[in-house]
Amino acid sequence: MAVVKVPLPPIDSNVFSAGWGYITTIAAGMWKTLAIFTVQLLKIEKTNTLEWPEQAATYSDRFKGKHFLTLRDDGEVRCTACFLCATNCPADCIHIEAGNHPDNELEKFPVRFEIDILRCVFCGYCEEACPVDAIRLGPEYAMVGTNGGKWVYTKEYLAERKQLSGGVISVKDENEKHPIVEAPKGSRNAKQIKSYARHGIH
Amino acid sequence: MGDTLTKVKITTAFEGKPNARALKTYVDNGGYAGLKKAFTMQPGQVIDEVKAAGLRGRGGAGFPTGMKWSFVPKDDKGPKYIICNNDESEPGTFKDRYITECNPHMILEGMIIAGFAIGANKGYIYTRYDFFEEIKWLETAIREAYDGGFLGDNILGTGFKFHIDHYAGAGAYICGEETGLLSSLEGKKGQPKLKPPFPAISGYLHRPTIVNNTETLAAVPWIINHGAAAHKTMGTEKSPGTKLFCLSGRVKRPGVYELPLGYPIEKLINEDAGGMLPGYNIKACIPGGSSAPILTAEELKGLTLDYEAIAAKGSMLGSGAIMIIDDSMSMVELLKVTVDFYHHESCGQCTPCREGTGWLANIMTGIMAGQGKKDDLQRMFEISRNMEGKTICALSDAAAMPTKSIVTKFGAEIADFIERGKRA
Amino acid sequence: MSETVTFKLNGKDVTVPKGTTVMEAARRENVEIPHFCWHPGLSVAGVCRFCMVKVEGRPKLEIACNLQATNGMDVKTDTEEAKSAHKWALEFHLINHPLDCPICDQAGECGLQDYYMSVGKYQSQMTRPKVLKPKMLDVGRDLVLDTERCILCSRCVRFEEEVTKTGALGIFDRGDRAIIGTYPGEKIDHNYQTNLVDICPVGAFTSRDFRFKQRVWFLKDKPAVCPGCSTGCSVDVYGKPETRSYFRLKPRKGEANGHWMCDKGRHMYSHLNQDVRLRTALTTDAQGRRKDTNFAGAIEDLGKRIAAVNPATDVALLVSAQHTSEEYKSLFDFFVGELGIKKVFQWREPTEKIDAFDGLLYRGDHNANTSGLLSALKEAGLAAGLKNEFDAVASSGAKIVIAVTPEVPSTFPSFEQQLNRLTELDFVSFWTLAGSVADNKKTKHAIPMKGFPEKKGTFINHEGKAGKLDSPFPCPVADGRDLTEIIAALKQWRHSHGSR
Repeated sequence: MAVVKVPLPPIDSNVFSAGWGYITTIAAGMWKTLAIFTVQLLKIEKTNTLEWPEQAATYSDRFKGKHFLTLRDDGEVRCTACFLCATNCPADCIHIEAGNHPDNELEKFPVRFEIDILRCVFCGYCEEACPVDAIRLGPEYAMVGTNGGKWVYTKEYLAERKQLSGGVISVKDENEKHPIVEAPKGSRNAKQIKSYARHGIH
Repeated sequence: MGDTLTKVKITTAFEGKPNARALKTYVDNGGYAGLKKAFTMQPGQVIDEVKAAGLRGRGGAGFPTGMKWSFVPKDDKGPKYIICNNDESEPGTFKDRYITECNPHMILEGMIIAGFAIGANKGYIYTRYDFFEEIKWLETAIREAYDGGFLGDNILGTGFKFHIDHYAGAGAYICGEETGLLSSLEGKKGQPKLKPPFPAISGYLHRPTIVNNTETLAAVPWIINHGAAAHKTMGTEKSPGTKLFCLSGRVKRPGVYELPLGYPIEKLINEDAGGMLPGYNIKACIPGGSSAPILTAEELKGLTLDYEAIAAKGSMLGSGAIMIIDDSMSMVELLKVTVDFYHHESCGQCTPCREGTGWLANIMTGIMAGQGKKDDLQRMFEISRNMEGKTICALSDAAAMPTKSIVTKFGAEIADFIERGKRA
Repeated sequence: MSETVTFKLNGKDVTVPKGTTVMEAARRENVEIPHFCWHPGLSVAGVCRFCMVKVEGRPKLEIACNLQATNGMDVKTDTEEAKSAHKWALEFHLINHPLDCPICDQAGECGLQDYYMSVGKYQSQMTRPKVLKPKMLDVGRDLVLDTERCILCSRCVRFEEEVTKTGALGIFDRGDRAIIGTYPGEKIDHNYQTNLVDICPVGAFTSRDFRFKQRVWFLKDKPAVCPGCSTGCSVDVYGKPETRSYFRLKPRKGEANGHWMCDKGRHMYSHLNQDVRLRTALTTDAQGRRKDTNFAGAIEDLGKRIAAVNPATDVALLVSAQHTSEEYKSLFDFFVGELGIKKVFQWREPTEKIDAFDGLLYRGDHNANTSGLLSALKEAGLAAGLKNEFDAVASSGAKIVIAVTPEVPSTFPSFEQQLNRLTELDFVSFWTLAGSVADNKKTKHAIPMKGFPEKKGTFINHEGKAGKLDSPFPCPVADGRDLTEIIAALKQWRHSHGSR
C-alpha cells in the first residue's frame, strides 16, 4: 500500500511575528459586533431576522406547506377517495381507505385519509393530481410533534383546522368545472386561493 | 320504350270502385287471375318473370324483387316464410295504407304468388298498430280468401298450401326495417338483426324468409297476369313500372298518385296536384320520405321521379313520399322535428345511431332554446358524416342524410337562427 | 385437416381455418382491433360498431367481428378512414358517459380509458348536457349497476342468455334512454354474477365484494388455479405484495373453465389475508403452557416428540385434499416411506356430495386436488377411498396426530367442529392456514402454511388434468411454509439429531 504524504499547510508567521497584532484584530472584531448590536437594539436600521414565533414570516404565494382538505358547503370533505394523490405521491406518504357513503349521490368517500408528514417531500403532486380540488398545500410551514403518532395527520386534522387555514369551504359544485373559489375573509392564503380559481385548477 | 307517361293503375286499380274491398268485386274485375296463371308455371319461371319485369322493392331501398326471391335456397325443404311489410312508418308515406284501403286481396294474391315462387307455405302481414280500419279490412279479406279457396291447404285444387296470418306491430319505426320487423314478429324487442346472414337465408325463426313491401307484393299479380314485357313498357329502362307517390305539403291537391316511374316532378306538382296554394312558393322538397336528403327548389327543375335521376341529385326516391316545403316553413324547425323523430325511434342497439341521434337532437334543442353555438353546424355535419354507413340498419343513415343535406343546403338560415337565437 | 383461407391483414398474409372472423384472426396475429361488444366467449352482437376495418374494394367500412375471412381479402385496420372511425366510435361511446373515473372501480382496467389512450386522444365535441340515468342499482348479491356508465354493449345480456341461460338481464327502453336492467322485482340470482363485472368493458357492473377496496393499478396479478372445487379453474390472483394482502380472483382463459369462474371461487382469497391466518407457530411445553414460537422452534418440538415414540405405530397422518401433488409426494415419501407410518387418513367434509355439478363449473367436491391425493396415496401403497375418516383417527390409538388441514376453511362447513374434536386427542400438530386453530385454546402445536398463490405445484382436477401453480406471491406470514418445506426441515432436524 502506497502512503501519500500530505504536506502541512504553511503557517502564516505574520500572526505570531506581529507580537500583539492579533489582540488588536480581536478588539476590532468586538467593536464591530458591539456597533451592530447597538444599532439593532436601538432599531436604527432594519434587521434581516424575525422574532419567530412572535413574528411570522411572509412566504411566497406558491409556498407549499402543510396539507389541508377542503370541504363542501355541507361541511363534508370534498375528497372522493379516488386515490390519485396517493398514486401520484413520490414519497408514498398518503394512506386512504375508501368506503361507501351513506348518501347514494356521493357514492365513495374516504373513511380514512392520512398523511405521514415525515415522509412527505412537499412536492405538491397531490394537489395537482386531485380532480376535485380536495387537497391543497397550505401556507403553514411550522410543524411540531413529540412522537411518531403526531406526524401522521388524520382526515379530521387535515380537514378541520379552521383556526389555521384548513377547512376551507370551496363552493365548487360537483357539476361545475371551473369554480370561482371564494377565500375566507382575512385568511392568509386568500391570494393563493384566488390564484387557484384563476388558473382553473380543479 | 312505350309512352313512359301513360298512367296505368296497377296497385290502385280498385280506387273509387263501389264495394271495392270485397272478394267478389276483386274476382269480377280479374282478381286472382295472376295466381291462376302462376299455378300454370314453374316456381322458377315465376321468379324469372318478376326478374324480367324489373320490379324493384317499393319500400325504399329499391332492391330488385326477383333477385331477392332467387336468394332463397331452393333445395331447402324446411319451412320458409313470406312476410308483407305493411308497417308503413316513414314520415310522409301513406301509400300502403291506400293500397289496403283500395283492395287488400291484391296484397294477398301477391303473397300467395311469392309463396308459390319460393316454396313458402306461410305468410304474415305485419301491419302498423295505428291502422285500426285497415287491420279490420285485412282480416276480413283473409277470411274471405279462405272461404273462397284462395288460401288453405289446397288452393284452387292445385295442392299448393298457403296460410296467411295477420300481425299488428306496436308502432315502432324500426319495425318497418326488414330485420327489425322479424325480431318483432318473433316476439322480441324490435331491433334489427346483424347481417349477414340475410333474411333470405336465415330470417324469421332462423328460416329462409322474404320480406316485401305491400306495394311490391301488390304489383306482382299484374306482372304475372300481363307479363314482364307489359310491365317494362312503363317507367324507365332501369326503373320500370308504376309507383305510388304520396304528395304532401301546401299543394292544392295533396294525396296518393300512381304514376309511371320517370314522371317529371314539376308536372306532378303543377298539373296533377294543381300547383301550390296561393301565396306559397316551393322552398325545398324531400323526395322520398323524411330519411331522404332534401332537394332545393332549384334542384327540382327537370327532375324525373325514378331511382336513378333522384340518386343523381344526391337524394333518393325512397318510399315515394314527396314532401313539399314551402317558404313559410323554418328549416331549423324542420331539422328539429326530423332529428327528434329519429332520436325517439332509434332502437339504441348500435352506438353511432343511439348516441348520434341523441346528440343531434340535443344540439337542436340547444339551438331552439337560443343556446346554439357557432360551430354547431360544423359539428352536426361531422356527427352525421360519422353516423352514416356505420350501423346495422339504415336508421342511422336515415337520420344523418337529411341532417347533412339541410345543414349544407340551408346552413345560412340555421346560422342566422343561431346568431339571433330565434327565427329571423 | 379442415379447410383454410388466406387473406391479407395490414399487408401481411394470414392463414386461418375457414369460418374464422377477421377479429379472431387479428387476435391470433396480435393485431389490435378496438372492440367493446365482441367477447370470445359470447355470440357476435355487432352493436358497438367500434371494430371497423377497411376491406379493399368495398365502399363502406366493415365490422371485423362479423366479417368472415375469405381468400384474397385485403383487410386494413390502420387506414386513416378506419382510424377516424375508431375515434368517432369512441366519441359516440363517451358523449353520455359520466366520466366519474375517480370514483369508478373500473378505472385502470377500463376499455374506455384504454382505448382513449390508444385510438382516441381527441378533443371532445360534446357541449350539451349529458343524459342522466339511474346509478348504484342493486341488481344482485354481488353486483352494483351504474346505468349511466353503461355503453350498452349487451355483453351482460348475452352472458345471461347464453352462459347461465337465466336471461335475467334485458335492455329496456330504446335510443339513448336505453338502460340495462333486471325484470321488475327480480334480481340476478346465480353463482356466476361476478363474471358480469369482468366482461363489462366499462364500470357499469362493479363487484360489491371488491367495491372501493383498492385501485387496480396498485394490484399485481399472478396466474394460479382456483382451490375452491375440483374443476380447477385457471385464475389470476390480484394482490398487493407491499402490504402482503389479497383482493380478488379473476378467471383466466383456461381449458377447464373457458372464460368464466363462479362466485364461490371469487372468495378464495379471503382466507389468505393476515387477519384470518395463523401468523406464528405454536408449541406447548412440558408444563402445558402454550407459547408462540418460530418455525424452527416448532419443528424442533415436533421432531423431539416424534423421536420419543415409535413412529410406525404411534404417529397418524390426517390429510386434506387441498394441497399440491408435489407436497403430497414429499409428505408420503417421508412419513410412509421413511418412518413407515401406516395410519394415513383423509380429512373430508362429511356432508359433501362429490358428484354434484351445477352444469357449468361448480362441483360438489370442494377440494382442488382430490385426484392428486388419491394417486399419491396409491403410489405410497395405501388404500385410497373418498370418505371422511375422523373416527378412524380417534380410534387409531396414535400418540401423535399430524393434521394437514384444508386450506380453505369456508369450503368445509364442519371445519370448526372437526377442529374441536381433534384437539380432544393427546397431541395433534396442525399444519394449517386458519387462524381459528390458534384461537382454540386447546391447540397444542401448530405450524403456519402457505396458501395456494404462494406456492409452486400442481392441482389435478376431476378430469385428471393438471393445473400449475408457478408464480408465487410472497407469503404474508413470515413462518408460512408449504408441506415440502416443512418435511425438509423435519428431515434436517432428525438428521442433525441423529435419529433415523
